[in-house]
Parts: sequence; structure tokens; C-alpha cells
Amino acid sequence: MSDLTIQSPVTRSYSTKTDAAITLTDETAQSRLLFRAGTGTPIRAALAQSFGSSRMSGDVLIAGSRPDEWLVLGEADAVAAWSADVPTEGHVSLVDWTHGRAQFRLTGEPVRGALEKVCGLDWSNAMTPDGAVTSGSIAKVTCDIIRNDVDGVPSYLILVDRSFGQYLFDALLDAGDEFGITVG
Amino acid sequence: MTERLQPQSGEVIDRSTPLPFVWNGKECTGYVGDTIASAIMANGHRIFARSMKYHRPRGLLTADFWDPNAFVQVDDDPNVRSGHRLLEVGVTVSPQNVWPSLDVDVKAANQLVGRFLSPGFYYKTFIHPQKLWPAYEKVLSTFAPGGEVDIETPLAYHDKRYTHPDVVVAGGGPAGMAAALAAAEAGASVLLVEHEHGLGGHLRWGSDEERAVAADLEAKVRAAGVEVLTDSTVTGRYEDNWVGIVQRSHPIAVERLIKARAKTLVVAAGLIERPYVFAGNDRPGVMLSGAVRRLINLYAVKPGERAVVFSANDSGDASVADLERAGVEIAAVVDGRTTGNVIATHGSQKAIKSVELSGGRTVEADLLVTAVGWTAPTSLLNMAGDRPVYDPAVARFFPSGTPDNVLVTGGLAGDGTLDQLIEHGSATGSLAAGRAVAIAHRLQAATVRAAAVEGAEPDLAADVRTPLGRDPHPELFRSTTHGIVDYSEDVGSKDLVSAAKEGYDSVELLKRYTTATMGPAQGKLETVNTVAVLAEARGETIAEVGTTIWRPPYAPITLGALAGRIFEPERVSSIHPWHVANGAKPILAGQWIRPEHYGDPAGEVTNVRTNVGIIDVTPLGKLVLDGPDVPKLLNLLYTNSWNKLDVGSVRYGLMCAEDGVVMDDGVTGRLSENRWLMTTTSSGAGSVWEWAENWLQTAHPDWEVFVTPVTTAYTSINVAGPKSRELMSRLTDIDLDPDAFGYMKVRTGEIAGVDDCIMWRIGFTGELSYELHVPAGYGLHVWEALLEAGADLGVAPFGLEAQRIMRIEKGHFIVGQDTDGLTKAPTTGLQPLIKLDKDDFVGKPELTWAMEQDLPVLVSVKMTDKTIVPPEASQIVRPGTNEILGRITSSRYSPTLGESIGLAQVPPELASAGSELTVVLTSGERTTAVVQEHHAHFDPEGARLRV
Repeated sequence: MSDLTIQSPVTRSYSTKTDAAITLTDETAQSRLLFRAGTGTPIRAALAQSFGSSRMSGDVLIAGSRPDEWLVLGEADAVAAWSADVPTEGHVSLVDWTHGRAQFRLTGEPVRGALEKVCGLDWSNAMTPDGAVTSGSIAKVTCDIIRNDVDGVPSYLILVDRSFGQYLFDALLDAGDEFGITVG
Repeated sequence: MTERLQPQSGEVIDRSTPLPFVWNGKECTGYVGDTIASAIMANGHRIFARSMKYHRPRGLLTADFWDPNAFVQVDDDPNVRSGHRLLEVGVTVSPQNVWPSLDVDVKAANQLVGRFLSPGFYYKTFIHPQKLWPAYEKVLSTFAPGGEVDIETPLAYHDKRYTHPDVVVAGGGPAGMAAALAAAEAGASVLLVEHEHGLGGHLRWGSDEERAVAADLEAKVRAAGVEVLTDSTVTGRYEDNWVGIVQRSHPIAVERLIKARAKTLVVAAGLIERPYVFAGNDRPGVMLSGAVRRLINLYAVKPGERAVVFSANDSGDASVADLERAGVEIAAVVDGRTTGNVIATHGSQKAIKSVELSGGRTVEADLLVTAVGWTAPTSLLNMAGDRPVYDPAVARFFPSGTPDNVLVTGGLAGDGTLDQLIEHGSATGSLAAGRAVAIAHRLQAATVRAAAVEGAEPDLAADVRTPLGRDPHPELFRSTTHGIVDYSEDVGSKDLVSAAKEGYDSVELLKRYTTATMGPAQGKLETVNTVAVLAEARGETIAEVGTTIWRPPYAPITLGALAGRIFEPERVSSIHPWHVANGAKPILAGQWIRPEHYGDPAGEVTNVRTNVGIIDVTPLGKLVLDGPDVPKLLNLLYTNSWNKLDVGSVRYGLMCAEDGVVMDDGVTGRLSENRWLMTTTSSGAGSVWEWAENWLQTAHPDWEVFVTPVTTAYTSINVAGPKSRELMSRLTDIDLDPDAFGYMKVRTGEIAGVDDCIMWRIGFTGELSYELHVPAGYGLHVWEALLEAGADLGVAPFGLEAQRIMRIEKGHFIVGQDTDGLTKAPTTGLQPLIKLDKDDFVGKPELTWAMEQDLPVLVSVKMTDKTIVPPEASQIVRPGTNEILGRITSSRYSPTLGESIGLAQVPPELASAGSELTVVLTSGERTTAVVQEHHAHFDPEGARLRV
């Protein structure tokens, strides 16, 4: 296993631009765990993140993606380390979504404008602040979306069913073209 | 440019940039900033079009977006509003629907029979005899108005955008700008939408002082951070202030549809000048006061040489001053506020020569300017639930009441000085911003992802605005003569009176019967006159007659804008690049792009039957089920029993809806005590997930089960064929001995160096098969490893077509292909899987009944002519008749058997082995199929897959 690389769903090649205001990055190679936990299970205390919000816990990002559902994202080693010690007693489901989701990051000041072209959600700071977690249709594909700003610059993690990865990557590039976008 | 005036202080044209173009075959020149209409007029042309029905020559009436007489073809773009569209260099502009030319149009002969072309003429005349309708239609279509669509024209790019501003202001006149400014200064995010090419409303063609006020407001608006959209229209207001906006000019798109969710909507649409109805009111040279003011002040175009002005308001008075400054001789000014009136125009069809006034006076003139009042375009308010009320003292409609999140300002709300309008707009903007704060607080508090709100929800700001006044205005709709009411539809006041006499005396009926108000102007020019004429015919007041209800869109929208940006999601497996590189013929199945075959589907079948083949079955739906109550869920969703499935085993199940109709099927395996993997059909992956969640969340929230879709978390590969065990043994340490890993069993382990793979012994082909589910990021690696490891075994990929052939050979049905929306479970022949002795399952009551009925039966068939493969869905009929008894649901030529085979749904009396079925082919010819004893044509005992 160690010598195998997770294949990206984005198989086309793209030229990069140096002066683009938005950067689209493929972060599919990161690890993703999906936790679901019933009321009263000990793992809920470890996750400790309310639905609709996220936080960094060490090197992993914990997102309350739906009621009773959490995503834990990060580099493979970090996710493995975090999950090694979490209690899984009780009615708990842990599914490795590393292979089930493509993960893209859209970063840049005008990124809200790009998202407004493909998604009907309200991206204002009040309605979708840094750390917000939601799901919605982007370019007619259901996605999980986490606002995860980078050094104060608006940034969104977008997770989509892996099979839609190439399609969505191209749709996001198209949406960002008006504002200047490059593949990171 | 024969009619171009000397520079005007407020002109919007750039004289340093001439634009050559062609109008009606003649070389012309305009300037940047010209509309097409102003440029044509500046070049001395006054006829723009022919009317729809009678093909009467028409000249400019309003010289703006609403002008009903100025639709032209611009290159390959038909039905362009030349009064609004800006001129571009090199365009060829042509008149529409004229033959042979604009100057001489033979269809003008319609005027000779005009008195017979009354309202409803087409309905009454061409209804009989019905068999002649195709002929009628062919002739009538040549009279259809509009330009020509070139289907070869490349599709233009139409964009779409969503936005959630605090305040949307519809209308960028002085009140609208003041509202936008005040709202922005109060901290609101504001989107200001203006129909015209620039902000300012009527101030744009006003005095120097008025334009200065407009410029100052615009500068402040832009400095305040208001997002300004010009050449854009708020087309509709829907529930919860969902506001549609069409942005007609954008750097990257010909049009952009904006879907705005406004917390408050300010409607400042202004007023639209109304034409006057009298004999000859559509003769070229009759213009509204706004039209001549725009032509002179914005575009420096002289609208005529000698004018009569019929004025009942300030706009008419101002037009007199403008005309005089432009060098137009004022032959007469008729005051509509007193007893003056216009009776008729006289002249040729193409120009006015004189104007007949009340009192018997006739004045020579080539231009008649009318200023008789305003239409209040209350469309957006109608859409918000308002029912405007007519005020006879002011001769226009006013709002009666709007929801809290819709506010009105400007001319729609009343009259006043410019300062008063601005003050009212400003107060409206502040109120809109205040209410937006309360609405935003409520939305934010109700949205889980939103930032936390502080304090309780503020009260909705009270409306303490000082109302605008109402300036008296005479009711001037129709003179003592009859004339055109709807210029777009060529409907006259006589037509309306006639229709009312026929009984179409309700305004909504009258509208539909005569088509008045239904043309491109959408009632903006003609609604009030229509109502007034009807009121006169009924002997009632306008208030008593009421008005039509304006529905979306405010202005016509192109189909391209409505369609917007088209998204067509596509799904591919991780092996897709290999399929592409190796010549797979793609087929779209649902949203999935899948390999139909790799060049020789029959050869692929033979290879699977002889050696070993591999197929990418990633779209197969997959759900992880976790929890101690999974058997309860499976017992509920499937018709068969799931109480005793051991870890390491898999079972087939049939899933029905409450009505007993087959919904899905698939195999579910038990991976560990509390973890199961369910597979569904490819098309059912989403619906089965939702179905399971629906039952869990509504009927059984107490059950401890989590359902997680993992369809593309795994790349799924079916390895099929007599050599499949040999191939798999080279890539995995899992014990493949048939005794250790038998048919309908599941194992997990490493395959081709990839951990956490799932492998189960099932198959759709009838051969010894292993279905692999490997982590998707390594799917391509495993696929290529299979091909490499099995090269000496003859391994080769096979596609959907080969799989379809083999599953028919084995008699396996596909839900949705061999079943339909009425197929209940017993039809499939799987009665043993319908366990009516279970406590309960979805569809049990209906299936208890259905099991006793003579339902259609799914049977396996062979064609008597081995070379004929009837198309799927071919009808099975009673011999010698066209009575439909059933249908062929699947059919293929079997390379294994060398004959044509299929599945069919037939009535029970034809379901026994040996029954002959009459099948109707596409050609109409009939062939015979024979029902077989078993569903499986090939290896009915299943010996090959159980080895």
C-alpha cells in the first residue's frame, strides 16, 4: 500500500496563471473520515462540534456536517493519529471517505462571486462565516462546503462525490474564469 | 446624418466615434451611444416597420425599450428593440416581416379587408372544416410577425448568478437612486437595477439642472458601494422576495439571469408615458413627448420639421421647449388641460401632413407630439399581491398595499417636486434598510451555519414616510375618433368595442380575445387605454372595470436568459481514463459515462464464456449499513427475510414500494456483526438511500442504523469467466477455494496490494464471478493489475452491451427495463422471495392481494426466426388483431446460442412454455416468439457460476 498513490479524480492537465485572483486546488489526496454517532455516545465529546460549524483540532479539521454527523479532514497521518484514540463504543459509524469524495479548495478574495455563479446559497460573512459548514448544490451537484479561510483570505473546501470530481473541477474553473482563476 | 442636430448639452453620443452600419440596404452612420433607432432616424429614415396585422407603415412612438413600432432584425438577431439596443459598428439592420420591401409591402393589402379582420376572426374562420387546418396553418404562418431565426447561428453564452442583497431597488431614477443611497448609507448591501443604459430616469433627458442632480446622485450612489446594474430589468418578484433580474449587457455573456433573494425590494419603476387614441394615431410622425425629448436631448436627433404638440402635463410643455431649441417649428400647442383635443391626423400612409384639432381646425405638420398621461407600471407590485386602485383625479393607478418587504417610491407612489421625490426615495431607502436588518436577523437566527446573532429580533421598522402628493391630471384616453390601442398587436379601439358587444366585456376576457396588451410591450403602453375603452363601452368607470393582473415577466425575456447557464453533470469511475485510452465506445447511462463496448461486444461475450473478462461496474449503488438493527431495516425494505444471514454471506433481495410495484433489487452482504454492504441498481443508488433514510427518520427513529452512501468510494469490478478464480488467485491471499469461499459469500482483504477490498461471489453473467469493491483511489491500479496478471488467461475488458447479452442469456431481469411503474413483484417470477409470513415489510398489504391475482408474467422468449431481434418495447398482440397483450422488454442476439432471445411481459394465459407470441416489428411486419420453460436460456441449473 505504501507505494501506491491515491489517484486524483481530476485527470486533465491545466496551465497555471501567475496573476489569478482565485486559486483552485485539488486536495483529494487528503484523508477524510465520516463519523455518525448516536445520542450519548462518548465519541460526541471528542468530536464536540455543532452542526454547521468546524474547527481545527491539532492538524485535523473537524466539521459538523449534518445532525449527528461529522467529517474529520487532514493529512493521512494526522487523521490516523487523531482517530486512533477516539472512543467508538455505542451506536457509532465510521466510514473512510478518503476514496469516496473529491476535495477541492477555492481560495481568493473574489471567490464569493465565483460561487454565486454556480450555487444559490448566501455566501455573505453573516450567513456563511469562516468555519461555517453546509451542503448545497454546486453546478447541480450536491456538495459539502466548509468555509476555511487561509490567512484571512476567503477559502472554501468543497467535497463532492468522487465520480463528479472532474466535472465539478471544470465547472469551478469556468465559474472563476470571469474573476481570474488558476489551478494551484 | 441629415437629421443630426448640433451638439446638445446632455447628449450621450460620442461624436468622435462614428459607427457605419446598414439600414434597409442603405449605408448609414451613427455614433457610439446611439440606439439603433436614433441612428436610423438621424440618417433621415422615419419608417421602421410595418404593423403586425395590417402592415401599415410605422415610425417611432416612444423611442425607447417599449417602442412597439421599432422591432428590427440585426444581422442574425431577430426582434431587436431598436429603441433600446445600442448601435454597434458594421451591423446590418433590416426591417422584419415585409415583402418585398419596407417601402412596398404587398401584405398591406390586408387593410383592404380590415373590416373583416375583427377580433376572433381566426378563431371563427379557420375552425371549419378541420381537415383544412394544415393548409390554413401553412398560409397563416407566412403572416406571423417577427424576424427570421437562423438555426445555424452559434449559441450565445448566457450566464447565471445568485445573490442575496439586503435591498434591491428596481429603477434608477431620482427616487430609486435616493433610496439606494440611503439604504447603503444605513449599512445595507444594495443592488440598484436600471432598465435603461444609464441612471437618472427622466432626468437624463431633462434640463441642465436636472441632469446635474442626477449626476450628483449617481456619484454618491457609486461612492456608497451600491452595486449598479444598468441595461437590466427586474423581471419578476416571487415568494419571499425572490427577485429575477435580466442583465442584458455583461462583459462575458450576452445576457445574465440574476436570481436575487432580497430582504427588501424597493420598487421605483417610475411612470411610462401613455399614447392617445384617435384616428391616424399610428401614422409615422405621431410621437409621445418623451420620445421627442429623448431623441433631441440624448441623441441630438431632430424628430420633425413642423410640429403640433398636444400637451396635458409638464412633459408635453417641456417638449415644446426642446423642439423649439432643436429648430422644429411649433405649428400649434393644444392644451389637453382645457378643452383642446386632437381628432385625427391626415396624410399619406407614411407621413403626417396635417393634424385635425377640435373645433374644426386643421394644422399642417409632419410631427404630432402627445403628452396625455402616464401608465403606472405596477407589475412588480401585482406580483407581490397588490391590487392597484385607479384614481380618476390623477388618471392613473396607485398601489393599495404591499407586503412589509416591498416598498414603493417615485412616480408609482405619487407626484411631487424633484426634491420631494428624492426625499421620499431617501426615506424609503432608510426604511428598506431598517426592515432588512430585522429580516436578516430572523434569517441568520434560523440558519445553523450563520454567525451568531446578538439580541432579540428587532421590530420591523415602522413606515413614517411623508406620503407623496397626487397632481391632478385630466383623463385623456380616447378622442372622439377611434384609433389604435395596441400597436404591437394592431388592435384598435373599434375592435375592443366590438368585442365587448360580443360579450367579452370582462377586461381579462377582452384581453385574451383581442390580444390587446399581450404583445411585446406587455401592457405598458396600452393597458390603461384598453381599460378606458372598455369602461366607455360598458358605460362604467375605469375603477369599476378594474385592470388586468400583471404577472411575470415585467418585460419579455429571451429563452436564452431563462435557460441560463446549462449544467450537465457527468460522472465517471476512476477507470474512465483507461476506457478512453483503450477505445471504449462511451454510453451515457443516467449521469454516468460508461463503456458500452470495446469494439466487439459479441467477442467480449465469448471471451467471458470461454476465458475471463472484467467489467467496470462502479455505478452499482452501494450503501454501508451500520448498527445492531440493520436486519430490522432489511426486513422492512426487502420482501424476503434477513434474520439469519451469517457474517460472510450475501443475499439477493427485491424491494417494493407500498403499492407492491418493484422499486429496486440488489445484493446485500454482512461484512461483520454490525456492518453490512447493500448494493442497489445503478439508477436506484440515490432513491434507495433516501428511501431507507425516510423510513428510519419517520417510522423507526428508534432503530440503531446508520446508512451511508459509498457508491463511488469503491471502484467496482466484476471478474467473470471460467478462469476468474485462477486470475484472482494471482492477486489476493484470500482463500478462493470453493469450499472456503462459495457462491453468495463475501470476503474482505487485500487485492493487488490494496487493503480493505471487498470481494463477493456473485455475478450477472452466469459465469464463475467475483465482484470486487476496491477503494476508488486505487481502482485503476487494480484494473490494470487484473489485465496484466491475466494476460496469459485471455483476460479482456467487456462493456455494458456484452453484460446485457449475458444477463438475457441467463434470464436476469433489470428493474426499470423489464419492469415498469406498474409491475408488481409477483410478475417477476420471484414469488419465493415474497415472504408474506414476515411481520411486516413495505408493500406487504398490496402484495398479499397481488399474489392472488392474475398479473402479467415475465417470461423468457426465443424468436422463431433466429435472425430477427425485435426492438425492445415491441408490442405483443393478439394474432390477427392489434389488441396489445404485452411487450418485449429485452432482446438481443445471443452469440453463445446463435439465436435471437429476449424477455417479455405477457398475460398469464400466454406465459406457459411453448406459447407462441405475435410480435409487431417497427416495420409493421409481425414475427413469432416462443415462451421458454426457464428464464435462463443458458445454464439454467447455474452450474457454471457455482463451481
